[in-house]
Amino acid sequence: MTAPSPTARPPGVRPRWLLAAPVLVTVAALIVVPYVNILVMSFRVPSTTKPYLPGFTFGNYTKALADPDFFYFELLFDTLRLALTITFLCLVVAYPVAFHLARTTSRWKGVLYALVLSPLLVGVVIRSFGWIILLANNGLINQSLKAWGMAPLPLMYNEFGVVLALVHVFLPFMILPLMGAIQGIDPRLEEAARSLGAGPAKVFWRVLFPLSMPGVQSGCILVFVLSCGAYVTPALLGAGRVHTMTTEVITLLDQFLWPFGAALALILSVVGLAAVAIYARLSGRLMRGLA
Amino acid sequence: MKGGKLLLGAAVTSVYVFLMLPIAIVVIASFNSGKYLKFPPEGFSLRWYANFFGSQPFMDATLLSFVLAVVAAAVATVIAVPAALYYVRHAGRWRETFRMLTLAPLLLPEILTAIALLFFYYQIGIGTKSALGLYLGHVVICIPFFFLQVTSALYNISPSLEEAARSLGATSWTSFRRVTLPLIKPGVINGALFAFIISFDNVSISLLLKGVGTTTLPMQVFDYLRWDFDPTTAAASTVSIAMTLGAVILVDRLVGLRAMRY
Repeated sequence: MTAPSPTARPPGVRPRWLLAAPVLVTVAALIVVPYVNILVMSFRVPSTTKPYLPGFTFGNYTKALADPDFFYFELLFDTLRLALTITFLCLVVAYPVAFHLARTTSRWKGVLYALVLSPLLVGVVIRSFGWIILLANNGLINQSLKAWGMAPLPLMYNEFGVVLALVHVFLPFMILPLMGAIQGIDPRLEEAARSLGAGPAKVFWRVLFPLSMPGVQSGCILVFVLSCGAYVTPALLGAGRVHTMTTEVITLLDQFLWPFGAALALILSVVGLAAVAIYARLSGRLMRGLA
Repeated sequence: MKGGKLLLGAAVTSVYVFLMLPIAIVVIASFNSGKYLKFPPEGFSLRWYANFFGSQPFMDATLLSFVLAVVAAAVATVIAVPAALYYVRHAGRWRETFRMLTLAPLLLPEILTAIALLFFYYQIGIGTKSALGLYLGHVVICIPFFFLQVTSALYNISPSLEEAARSLGATSWTSFRRVTLPLIKPGVINGALFAFIISFDNVSISLLLKGVGTTTLPMQVFDYLRWDFDPTTAAASTVSIAMTLGAVILVDRLVGLRAMRY
């Protein structure tokens, strides 16, 4: 809080913007300025001996988007494909849970809600660690397979492991908005559809799903954006064999190629945001088409 | 219909198992006597905990994470509580812009924020030589969570209570201290809890901004996991889970978690 106002001043006259000042100063200094700086950095001339050379260039962007063998272009495509896969799987897995949690009258509802929230209290590193114990080549699952005389499966150091662990990490972010949306739907609407002769599939596709679209939309956007920026899980479960834009950017930073790393990071953010915008428009049209 | 219900029940149960499985596995591995977790477990042992508590790097990392989370939560209080008051009670034309700015650290990809901060610190000369940059980075990512908690608490109390206090002659400071603050206390404490947990579990910011020779607990676990498998990390993880859980229980005892909204 700011200093107490002198009593001589009538209450309510003290400048209100003083309340907003601390957060504005912090965000300006630690978000706005560094982001402008990273934008400027992405046009700098790279160097391997110091952060950058004098002068400006578009070279980092042309290298990223139009290098002869399209390495970074494919990397971007892979990152988006991975993020889409994770988002879709989260939606499919989260929907039944969200529906159940929204409609259940069980006295365990509070406990179930806490179970959905509780993984968020455990750090990403620890949750990825749990998957490593399970999926590693000599992990719990493969040991059990060997003990039963079956051939071990490649569960980790590939996209399968990364996708599985990321679906786990982001699932609560899908369940919570879906649950909120389904709670807002009157169950009598489904009953009405059923009494008019609609089968379960038809009730779901024509009534429940379209009405839950706001929740589907916010959950999907959240998971997609988080998946695009994920670093820890791909680094641990991919262990250098699964490459995404973020793991590549961190590698570039280690090699001190800052301007190029900055350009890649910005391309990923812009493409990610554009994908979200397109998705929001499409799903808006889809919503109108279904309802 | 009965078949459909059963199917839904089975699907829902397996998702709950899926959500809890990796976390339970880490806790079980920390008490397992063997180096690799087998099924059935080889036996109960506390030797990985002895390793953990006997390891100077792990102890330093735990202490740093704890201090970092407490400082980040405390500094975020001073920034986010006035911001929430301004947004709910006084913001005018720029209200939504103000909200977006406050929530920006949450809306932007965390790893990108970390990269931006790293470049910025180097250019203004503080680099990662001191821990200052790490502390500032943690504060900035805690602010949105704190802000959301306090705004929702403020929406639940009527402004007429503060007006009444002021019309009875209280200054705005007194009315804040004696009326508003006690009413939003649960929101503030929940906000501090969120800030603590967000900071305590953070990796992306710490990965790039940790100073030379210092590391946080999640970073220490992360580095261990990249190079070798050692159940000491399972013990470290379990201690970390216990500390978070301890904070949650403490807050639940103090104010109750009913007001908690994510």
